Amino acid sequence: MAQVTIETTQKFLPVLRITLGWMFFSAFVRRVINVPDKLNPQSSLYVGGKILTFLPHAWSPVKGILIWVLENPTLLYDFLITFTALEAIFGLMMILGLFTRLSGFGLAMLAWGMGPAAGWLGSTCVDEWQIASVEGAAALMFMLTGSRWLSIDQILYSKYPDGIKIGKIRIPLW
Amino acid sequence: MRTLEIIAIIFMLIATGVTFGLYQINFQGFTHLTNYSKTPAYDLSGTRLYSNGTLLLNVTRTAGPDTYGGFIVLVQILYPNGTVLYQWTGQQLGMLPQSDIINEFPLHPAKPIHIGNYGVGILAPLGQNFVVKLQVPFHINPGTYIVRVYDADGQYEAYGTEFQVTVTVS
Repeated sequence: MAQVTIETTQKFLPVLRITLGWMFFSAFVRRVINVPDKLNPQSSLYVGGKILTFLPHAWSPVKGILIWVLENPTLLYDFLITFTALEAIFGLMMILGLFTRLSGFGLAMLAWGMGPAAGWLGSTCVDEWQIASVEGAAALMFMLTGSRWLSIDQILYSKYPDGIKIGKIRIPLW
Repeated sequence: MRTLEIIAIIFMLIATGVTFGLYQINFQGFTHLTNYSKTPAYDLSGTRLYSNGTLLLNVTRTAGPDTYGGFIVLVQILYPNGTVLYQWTGQQLGMLPQSDIINEFPLHPAKPIHIGNYGVGILAPLGQNFVVKLQVPFHINPGTYIVRVYDADGQYEAYGTEFQVTVTVS
């Protein structure tokens, strides 16, 4: 193993990393383990209904897409399964510190993607905007910092410090 | 090192831009702060009234909490001067058959709410667009009328917009 120096800042990143990952991974846990009816189109708990509540003040091109999806139940179901799967995969990767940069980018897109659709919702504390902007900014930060402490990326880095190379281009997965 | 700092500043501006942009566009947070999740609101665009007394009340629930309500407890047809021509109370609205309410979206349908024989009103979930078929028991003269609905909080106005529409009977 190569000798690796870890910056001080890197050692404090896990303070946020696991919480951030859990915000997404727990969405999968809630829908698949805690309350499976959330993904049952026949149930009144079906999360598809949430999309309906986004409609009134969703931004204009997004609103049209949401209406289209709501009028095609199969499409809606596929969308929910895909979104839940992405939350599970990227969330777990963030918690484990595996391919943190890729996960950070994915989570930033998921979080910010909620902004034009559900960003106007929030009866207590302009909630959805806070979720979208804080989680988006945090995830983007991890895309830039990567993860060099208490992470699988740390192990990968110590074994393969040069990362993945395709030709002369280095892909900074860790 | 210069390159690194430039990249850091660019990404700082991107993240901050998204945060401020969403805040302003979704809540007008830097100008006139508005939170549409506070109070239920209804839009009656598309409502039609016919001379035979049929009212096709087209309601879109456009604001308020996402997990509960709103409830329409009074529907009025008014003359332009504000006098009531005819109205349906929560008692009547809550006892309507479900078949008289046509929902655009299958999820979270609007429905009449009643407890035994006590009619409460019409449950209107956030985002749903629906038509309620109502019948005035007499002929309506040609002219202009106002159709208005009241939420269970007693209001027919929220966020500076009234829950009413002007209709013409020809």
